[in-house]
Amino acid sequence: MRYKSLIILLMLIGMAYSQNNVINIYNWSAYTPKSVIKLFTKQTGIHVNYTTYASNEELYEKLKADPSIGYDIIVPSSYFVQRMAKEGMLEKLDLKQLPNLKNINPLLLNKPYDPGNQYSIPYLWGTTSIIVNNKYYDPKTITTWNDLWQQRFYNQLLLNDDMRDVFSIGLAALGYSINTSDPEQIKQAYLKLRQLMPNVKLFSSDGAIPIMLDEDATIGVVYSGDAEQMTKGNKKLRYVYTKSGIIIWIDCMSIPKNAPHLANAYKFINFIMQPKIAKMISMQLGYSSPNITAVHGMPNRIQNNMIMYPPQNILAHGQTEGYLGKATQALYLHYWELLKISG
Amino acid sequence: MMSNRLFKIIAINIIFIWLAVLALLPFIMVVVASFLQQGDENLFNWHLTVINYTQLINPIFLHIFWRSLVVSVITTILCLALGYPFAYILAQLSEKLRLACLFLIIIPFWTSSLIRSYAIITILKTQGLLNQLLLTLHLIHQPLHILYTQYASQVGLVYSLLPFMVLPLYATLEKFDWRLVDAARDLGANRLRAFWQIVVPISAPGIIAGVMLVLLPAMTLFYIPEILGGAKSILLGNLIKNQFLEGQNWPLGSSISIVLTFFMALLIGVYWKFNKNKKQVLI
Amino acid sequence: MNKSLSASYLAFIYVILYLPILVLIVFSFNNSMFSGLWHGATLKWYRELFHDSGLQVIAIHSLIISFLASTVATFIGLLGAVALFKYQFFGKKLLNGVVFIMIVIPDLVLGIAFLILFHALNISLGFWTLLLAHITFCIPFVVVTILSRITGTDKNLFEAAKDLGANDFIVFSKIIVPMLIPGIVAAWLLSFTLSFDDVVISTFVSGPDFQILPLYIFSQVKLGVTPELNALCSVILLLTVVMALIAQMVLKKK
Repeated sequence: MRYKSLIILLMLIGMAYSQNNVINIYNWSAYTPKSVIKLFTKQTGIHVNYTTYASNEELYEKLKADPSIGYDIIVPSSYFVQRMAKEGMLEKLDLKQLPNLKNINPLLLNKPYDPGNQYSIPYLWGTTSIIVNNKYYDPKTITTWNDLWQQRFYNQLLLNDDMRDVFSIGLAALGYSINTSDPEQIKQAYLKLRQLMPNVKLFSSDGAIPIMLDEDATIGVVYSGDAEQMTKGNKKLRYVYTKSGIIIWIDCMSIPKNAPHLANAYKFINFIMQPKIAKMISMQLGYSSPNITAVHGMPNRIQNNMIMYPPQNILAHGQTEGYLGKATQALYLHYWELLKISG
Repeated sequence: MMSNRLFKIIAINIIFIWLAVLALLPFIMVVVASFLQQGDENLFNWHLTVINYTQLINPIFLHIFWRSLVVSVITTILCLALGYPFAYILAQLSEKLRLACLFLIIIPFWTSSLIRSYAIITILKTQGLLNQLLLTLHLIHQPLHILYTQYASQVGLVYSLLPFMVLPLYATLEKFDWRLVDAARDLGANRLRAFWQIVVPISAPGIIAGVMLVLLPAMTLFYIPEILGGAKSILLGNLIKNQFLEGQNWPLGSSISIVLTFFMALLIGVYWKFNKNKKQVLI
Repeated sequence: MNKSLSASYLAFIYVILYLPILVLIVFSFNNSMFSGLWHGATLKWYRELFHDSGLQVIAIHSLIISFLASTVATFIGLLGAVALFKYQFFGKKLLNGVVFIMIVIPDLVLGIAFLILFHALNISLGFWTLLLAHITFCIPFVVVTILSRITGTDKNLFEAAKDLGANDFIVFSKIIVPMLIPGIVAAWLLSFTLSFDDVVISTFVSGPDFQILPLYIFSQVKLGVTPELNALCSVILLLTVVMALIAQMVLKKK
């Protein structure tokens, strides 16, 4: 009995260190549930090294500085997929090897950031919109992005500490595309946002949930996944879709160039796209699944959850952040710094 | 005699080689990077330029630099004011107590500074412990809004950097011969004078070390002001982070770091010079 | 100074220092996933923690790295501080300068510079790069702390010992080190604290198969500070305290 467990242990160690049967996943923290990873190892015998990053920039920087770093799967957001693909940092996907792609919602495929999904497969997605505490304000009175500028929200507003997210609000309020590269429009958005600053209580870099939950801020612009958690924890919170168009974010699975375990990476992507697995991931994390077959297999209360699965007519008007090139990025950054200083 | 030279050679070479490869070399790379152009797809273009430095002569940068300096100087003064008496008392305790107290001061810092900052949030938030306490004691009638202001970020900075002040101070004060103070008092010096003219000059190396270890990191710490201050302003740390991460402008990020380094070197150099003169006067 | 005044000042500082820690520990029992307000007590976060074997591995990784890094850094930094104090040599100013630069240079810049350096030297990222980086960024703090202790000691002491026939190795191990013990302890503690908490540099020098605690915590915080994280930190705190106590007892026996 004893040597049996020893052999198993040795096998496990062998598995961890044998070159072929490993996959190095570089992902957001807890973005793939442990149960899913265990199941993957059980089904395929592939040992998973799961390490984490905290921002797209971090991921990009690391791959850029050391292209042979050895990750097999990464999960960048849409605009970083576009940028990394443009700079030749991603492996072109052979979609024939990914039969489970048929399960993915066509509304989330073939987006401008990655036409034809040559480099990325949606992993999870969501929206960015307004959360309101109805103890203080009537949610019905907030219908457009412009409403955030009202004086009654003085020092009450929570925004994400993310340059593009914040500028999207300014641009959308002015009716411009959130992916504009027009310097004049960007400047106008900056001037508009400056007027919003008195209302801003904080830019939250992480942990927006407790701030809304404990009512340190009473109105905010947050991600739908967070909103789902917030509304569960504080019954007075309402997630509102603006009429002036919503913002959609998509986090994608990609394979970096020079991935040492390419075959395993394909196996992993295919595995994730199984409806059963996609359902596990989405249900455990509370983020929306792009896997339409999986969604149809979920309980009704989730399928009809307006926060996680907004109706088609709202979804169709959504914009997704794309990459704008270094010069435009620098311009945004310039105004972002000006904005922060003015606060 | 041979072994004496051997010791010298070993001692010098180990640290020299180590720092040459792992510190000087990276630093030289940063210096070089600061004179390159930002590349479009690659990180750099191999064209020498000084644009990364001329670009810094603008009001935004100067404003941010000044604000960061003010914040770090305040942090340092507060740390010194809180830490000096602490180290002073600590150094006079019996040896057994001293070690225990030293451990006690460092233990809180063995938890993640991030998690600690969030614990501070729990204390400072609108419905948090501090407000509840003050409200129950009827000291205030409205909850204080401290969280997500610069005061909160100042609290966080002082809290996080205090041991960097206390430890060097303790290290110098610990070896201090307290009989000197007694002698001075016997000679008629009052307590304050004895302290000012004997203890302070002798602990000067500790003060300088502590000030360096607090002031310098405080200039570039970015996540405490972000978490506790609500990220409503930009400090130097954020600026550098933005250039490296958001703007992917490594040359500019590098040049800001270099300017910072030289400015700090200048500051410390001036201080040393000033201090030396003062010492000579004293002697 | 007045004794009771001193004692109450010490107590005051300790209360401030420990208040957040206390809050952290108390909230590790909080029966709410995200809220920073009290929602009743539970032990479920600790249960989850003890079932998470991956996390235990990460914690052990972190302890190993920090212990090794602070020990090696203290050793090298001690030699460096002694050399800087005792000897005149070519490049002394440079050495001083590098130590200073290492303290001033923002972590982020250093981390990225390390990353490029390791890439240029063709060292793959993982345990060794983490260790090298951690040792390196701890050394200047050690040098400064020990130098502040050493300055003002009497150089003649060493000469006297030498005249009595002791060589430098003996002077170092029998005179200098014992004399510097408080400084060495302070430097080691500082290094361990720095290393155990470093996020920024580690981010850039860690590889695909060696995760450490601060990075785990940092990325986890993006999802909110859960009681599980508080529980994790409480347990780690308990562990380090116990280890420190054991170390102290062992040292005393010697």
